[in-house]
Amino acid sequence: MADTALQPEHALEAARLTKRYGRLTAVEEISFSVAPGEIVGFLGPNGAGKSTTLRILAGRLLASSGRATVWGESVALNPTAAKRHLAYMPENNPLPEDLRVREYLELRARLKGVEEDLIELRVDQVMHDCDLRARSTMLIAHLSKGFRQRVGIADALLANPRVILLDEPTIGLDPHQILGIRDLLRSLRGKMAVLISSHILPEVEQVCDRVVILNRGRIVAQGRTEDLRRDLLPTPAHRVVAACSLAELETAARSLEPGASAAELGMAEPGWKQFRLTLPPGSPARDNLLAGLVRSGLRIREVAEERGGLEDIFLAATRRDAREARAS
Amino acid sequence: MRAFRVLLVHELRMTWLSWTTWASWALFLALLGTIHWYAVLACSRTPMPWTPAEAVFRWFPLPLLCILPLLTMRTFAEERRAGTLGALLTTPASAFAVVAAKFACTWSTWVVFWASFALFPLIASEALGASADPRLLDTVTLGGGVSFIAVSGLLHVAIGLLCSSRTRSPGLAALMTFVCLLGLTVSGGLIDALPSDGWEWLGWMKGPAEHLRTLGHLEDFASGIIDTRPLALYLTGCALCLGLTVVNVEAAD
Repeated sequence: MADTALQPEHALEAARLTKRYGRLTAVEEISFSVAPGEIVGFLGPNGAGKSTTLRILAGRLLASSGRATVWGESVALNPTAAKRHLAYMPENNPLPEDLRVREYLELRARLKGVEEDLIELRVDQVMHDCDLRARSTMLIAHLSKGFRQRVGIADALLANPRVILLDEPTIGLDPHQILGIRDLLRSLRGKMAVLISSHILPEVEQVCDRVVILNRGRIVAQGRTEDLRRDLLPTPAHRVVAACSLAELETAARSLEPGASAAELGMAEPGWKQFRLTLPPGSPARDNLLAGLVRSGLRIREVAEERGGLEDIFLAATRRDAREARAS
Repeated sequence: MRAFRVLLVHELRMTWLSWTTWASWALFLALLGTIHWYAVLACSRTPMPWTPAEAVFRWFPLPLLCILPLLTMRTFAEERRAGTLGALLTTPASAFAVVAAKFACTWSTWVVFWASFALFPLIASEALGASADPRLLDTVTLGGGVSFIAVSGLLHVAIGLLCSSRTRSPGLAALMTFVCLLGLTVSGGLIDALPSDGWEWLGWMKGPAEHLRTLGHLEDFASGIIDTRPLALYLTGCALCLGLTVVNVEAAD
């Protein structure tokens, strides 16, 4: 594991990375970093440039300009040294079908420089961590999609790398398998820097310390989910279930906060309607909304703040980017 | 160096565990055994100016064109198709180590195939006993021929690897290798075979083509003549092809 005395500030750093294919710019001047032991989610719609960025960081693709470093080693100038600190699981996780699970992991351990007398121990350890022991003698060709993904993750963990890049690690897995992989990823926090590219936003939200959101080859937002929520979703919304009309609710809400607005969402159950009530950012009425509405004489069953999830943050960030692009 | 050693052991293991290697070897031995059998029969009927082993080596383009593409076609094409080549290069193993390991494995397999041909003269000699012509076990021809195969095989195997690194289809790789090896083997003789009238403008090619006369190189080797020019041709050709293969592998997705 990392020697803290020699630990660099960033386990992984991308500085103004750009990748062009002819006239097409796949990735444009993106800069971000991952601290040692941190788990970062890498989000973006299809074609945003996530896989291109991961391939540049893994040394499988040369950037047109910019700098990528892994544990202080330049990926372009010193690829062998950078790869010693890095494990990369590509999106489709290609595996040789004619090898058995243990054979494959032993081969990869040797290639990654694990000491000969530690190989068996390390392979046993990662097979245990990834729940692969029962399938150690199976041919990879006979494994299900979920177990192939586990083999990919086991391979990534083999040499105790400083940095792990995972491209869609849970794609095609069933819910039980996703939970297992999620727990495994959580267990890496503090031990390895992990960059996870995923489309499954709730998963990223539950596992990652920070997110980097990419759109059309550029970073449109990055930071902790809480900070992004505050930045991108400043207007708190509340879901209100009440036995009243929209006009009555709006009147009551505006008596508490003149800038409040409401929209009817539909019938909750006979006699009760569901509304979305939006207050201006920083409104003091937010702290005692329920009491205020009840005081106005409305029959209220439920008031719940709708915290924007990562999905809302992602949509807000990409929409803001599209607006800025149109404006410029 | 460690990556090369690990990959070489892995490649050798996978090659000799693969049924296609054993099928290729069986085909190779059947082909050479048949040629040797007919050469022995011909020599037993009428005294010939050549030995059965020489006859077999003169037919060497046949196994070269039919068997070698079978050995080289899967080296990179199969891995590119499956995507495992890219995954391999995410480890500290360099593209050069990967190419060198695959080359060493395929070349040594090709030499083992040819070395196993020595069994036929041995079997024939044992079967005929005291009546066997001592030229049947002509060790100079056998040693020279296998040495030539080993030296020329450097270029031939490198061509096969280069073709395999250019495509994701093993079948297409085999076809490309066949065409390249056919061109290399027959081009020297073709220029010589051109009629003198109407083809004078190609006269300048006769000199360079002379250096490509593969069968001439074989005869020199088999008679113990070591000419450095074909050696330089095979070694530089091999280095060029392997260099291009490394470039292809680095660029492979």
